Amino acid sequence: MVVGDISTGTDVAVVGAGPGGYVAAIRAGQLGLDVTLVEKDAYGGTCLNYGCIPSKAMITASDVAHEAGNAEEMGVYADPEVDVAEMVDWKDGVVDQLTGGVEKLCKANGVNLVEGRAEFAGNDKLRVVHGGDGQGSETIEYEHCIVATGSRAIEVPGFEFDSEHVLDSRDALAMDDLPESMVVVGAGYIGMELSTVLAKLGVDVTVVEMLDSVLPTYPDDLAKPVKDRAEELGIDFHFGLAADSWEEADDGIVVTAEDEDGETTEFDTDKVLVAVGRQPVLDTLNLEEIGLEPNDDGRLETDHEARTDVDNVFAIGDVAPGPMLAHKASKEGQVAAEVIAGEPAALDYMAVPAAVFTDPEIATVGLSEEEAEEQGYEPAVGKFPFSASGRALTTGDPEGFVRVVADEESGFILGAQIVGPEASELIAELGLAVEMGATLEDVASTIHTHPTLSEATMEAAEHALGHAIHTLNR
Amino acid sequence: MAREFKLPDVGEGVAEGELVRWLVSEGDTVSEDQPVAEVETDKAQVEVPAPVNGTVRELHWSEGDVVPVGDVFVTFDVEGEADEEPETTDESETEADDGESESATESAGGRTFAPPSVRRLARELGVDLDSVEGTGPSGRVTEGDVRAAAEGHATEPQEEPPEEVREAAEPVGEQAAEHTEGGAASAEPAGRDKTLAAPATRGVARELGVDIDDVPAVEQRDGEAFVTAEAVQQYAEGGQAAQGEAAAGGATREFAEGGETTEPYRGIRRTIGEAMAESKYTAPHVTHHDTAVIDDLVDTRSKLKERAAEQDVKLTYMPFVMKAVVAALEEFPVLNSELREEEEEIALKQDYNIGIAVATDAGLMVPVVKHVDQKSMLEISQEVNELAAKARDRSISRSEMQGGTFTITNFGAIGGEYATPIINYPETAILGLGAIDERPVAEDGEVRAAETLPLSLSIDHRVIDGAEAAQFTNRVMEYLTDPELLLLE
Ligand SMILES: Cc1cc2nc3c(=O)[nH]c(=O)nc-3n(C[C@H](O)[C@H](O)[C@H](O)COP(=O)(O)OP(=O)(O)OC[C@H]3O[C@@H](n4cnc5c(N)ncnc54)[C@H](O)[C@@H]3O)c2cc1C
Repeated sequence: MVVGDISTGTDVAVVGAGPGGYVAAIRAGQLGLDVTLVEKDAYGGTCLNYGCIPSKAMITASDVAHEAGNAEEMGVYADPEVDVAEMVDWKDGVVDQLTGGVEKLCKANGVNLVEGRAEFAGNDKLRVVHGGDGQGSETIEYEHCIVATGSRAIEVPGFEFDSEHVLDSRDALAMDDLPESMVVVGAGYIGMELSTVLAKLGVDVTVVEMLDSVLPTYPDDLAKPVKDRAEELGIDFHFGLAADSWEEADDGIVVTAEDEDGETTEFDTDKVLVAVGRQPVLDTLNLEEIGLEPNDDGRLETDHEARTDVDNVFAIGDVAPGPMLAHKASKEGQVAAEVIAGEPAALDYMAVPAAVFTDPEIATVGLSEEEAEEQGYEPAVGKFPFSASGRALTTGDPEGFVRVVADEESGFILGAQIVGPEASELIAELGLAVEMGATLEDVASTIHTHPTLSEATMEAAEHALGHAIHTLNR
Repeated sequence: MAREFKLPDVGEGVAEGELVRWLVSEGDTVSEDQPVAEVETDKAQVEVPAPVNGTVRELHWSEGDVVPVGDVFVTFDVEGEADEEPETTDESETEADDGESESATESAGGRTFAPPSVRRLARELGVDLDSVEGTGPSGRVTEGDVRAAAEGHATEPQEEPPEEVREAAEPVGEQAAEHTEGGAASAEPAGRDKTLAAPATRGVARELGVDIDDVPAVEQRDGEAFVTAEAVQQYAEGGQAAQGEAAAGGATREFAEGGETTEPYRGIRRTIGEAMAESKYTAPHVTHHDTAVIDDLVDTRSKLKERAAEQDVKLTYMPFVMKAVVAALEEFPVLNSELREEEEEIALKQDYNIGIAVATDAGLMVPVVKHVDQKSMLEISQEVNELAAKARDRSISRSEMQGGTFTITNFGAIGGEYATPIINYPETAILGLGAIDERPVAEDGEVRAAETLPLSLSIDHRVIDGAEAAQFTNRVMEYLTDPELLLLE
């Protein structure tokens, strides 16, 4: 031990205070364990500071501006003026409120908060390096450790993030002055969410995507309405092109992209946002010290209790296998904490919902029809278009549908896909249905408020049963 | 290919078994149906056969372990199949399958449908969800199913002693009411008119066949009795779980000093113990003693013994006693009965199925000879011998120990005159035989040495009066003293 080091002991050391880590810490605190949470940057992690929350704040704010200016149909005429700096301030206020809340909740649950970067210094020890000169370091001896160090944006070779010309999503969400034009590399969910925000705020957006569609991981019938709407907003799509290099020009920058055959296309723009995906952050943890090694995916393999190959070390969130989603991180955090406390917890959920906050929104849970077939089910599928929903029509946004996939024989709901207004909210009911082993009959027989968008769920279930009222049966 | 073989349902409704002995080792070649292990349940000891031809890759348990039914037991490398991902075989693919143990809930995709709360409960109670048969909509596994599966472990022995003659299909509520002894006082039916409970609690009550108005209330809501799911559960269990825990606790107790060794109180031993306690504390026992003078029977038997031996049958005294007992039972049917407290009725049995208590290494077993009245002496003789041998080597099946209406216990085989047999509940009488021996008998003012058989008849005094016990014993003695009378039977 270095002279001047302080050493503390704890039942559970949690590294990273994102939605995985802080939830794990709070839960462990609730269960009476002594918990130490180490965070090198900001409480709330990517999600609260640079991801889910700021992006959703900006999406809502840009929607308000956009809708206000596009409601002539309803007899509303407005020409909203947007002060982006104020909008970003407001967003920051929301973030501050939430991150402050996380800190308070941690303290209220007896969690010891330590600021600094943690790395393994032995099988039962973390060394925490504090930032700045002369800050020294401290050692935390733990019984159990939960690794929740999250992820960072992937850099494309030739496009090192510089926060000036080449931005990652975090930079893009912090701009308080909008460029006139932006090239967005990647049409995944982060690229599409941010492109939509920028376009709604008047930025001239060009999307460059290597594959041949937007939201390539989603089925076409869900992605298409998003692409159509984006095009209506003036977003210019270029598929089959890979960003290759960029250089400064007199007036902004020039981004060069290349197709399969090596043909290049140049884009004059002010800035480029690279949103090609995220990679787990494990390289700073000194994992070799405890004999752990990331898999080919860069993740730590875990079992159904979120435990890694090292018995007292758990991994959750973006560093663990599965979709990189905040709610998945939080659930894993809860399970890890409960397992450590000796509770009969396990990661045995049947479905993790996912939502894309584009315009329109997309949300999915469980199996698609094809996946159900692959798994040997004979799927019964029911669909209800929002164009037949009274409430959707009264929102002025009747695009999209709810689709329910069930097992024909037993009626068990296996999954659902929604595209349309409030899809991210509507999916919750069907997520519950999947988890509960609810049948089509159960959902169809549950009275839904009228007029609401959620009626579409009931109607889709009825459709699958062959007795929909407000749409033609299959 | 590796095949994971789960411990099959080794006996009707058995939830676990103690691994007595492996009959194979890792690396051994096995053929289909070759016994791989001996497993003792609370019912019997059985051999578990291999489901495939192949080699033993891994034995997952150690001798002495209690293995839950449905847990992976042995991994086999199946002959002639390339090595790939382990595949699971369970009871549905083995001979021991009773056709219903495999849950309907496991449909395509290998998913078992159950709400998260039920999945957590299953983990808490150590129940393998995939092995539970769901009774919910479309076969969904409910909280009640999981609890029932869990109780299968804890209360199985109490619910079904091996000599059980009651129908297995009895609703749980009924059993619960029968088992109130030793349970919480709360197991008395409350019989209210109105009971407040959450819909889920009512569901649990329905599943367990419990009338919610009978469940003792844990609290009041708006001045009405309020019942929780746990209360329903407890009522249904009738305190059984608590008893089970006490027994389990006793089994693991160890003392720091005092020089003793402990043996687990489980399996057949515990089943016997529980059945005995239930009988002793439920039926008020009265034992009637008498001695039959059986010189003629001794003669008759020694004559017939040779004849029987010619037909390869070893003739003992037991068939004579059984015939005598059946003849007496025909005259005094109340001794061939069962008391059903719940229904407030005494069932007089038409069948004469005589259980013979047999001492085995594992403890007392009671094989049953069915329809003694319709069988010849030789048939009975043969059957008794066979059943006793099977009981001793524990290859006896459960059905061969069921359906008895009256029991005979031959404690005299080891020596002694009189004892207090404990009724094979819910039967109402049991006849104990002392050792056949020459004893002084006073006759016409003289004492002579005569062959005698001491008899001890225990009766359930709720059903049978002392006078009936004496008359019955007298009749049995008459037949034994004068075996020719049996010819008229
Ligand atoms: C723009 C954007 C939008 C998103 N939108 C959504 C959405 O709508 N819904 C959704 O579910 N998900 C969304 N996500 C993904 C979501 O943010 C992540 O899945 C989630 O944050 C993962 O949580 P985590 O706890 O694993 O890690 P993180 O939130 O990444 O937290 C990890 C924390 O660990 C800290 N850390 C790392 N290394 C160390 C170390 N050695 N010592 C100490 N501290 C360390 C980091 O500083 C960070 O604070 C979005 C992400 C982005 C970028």
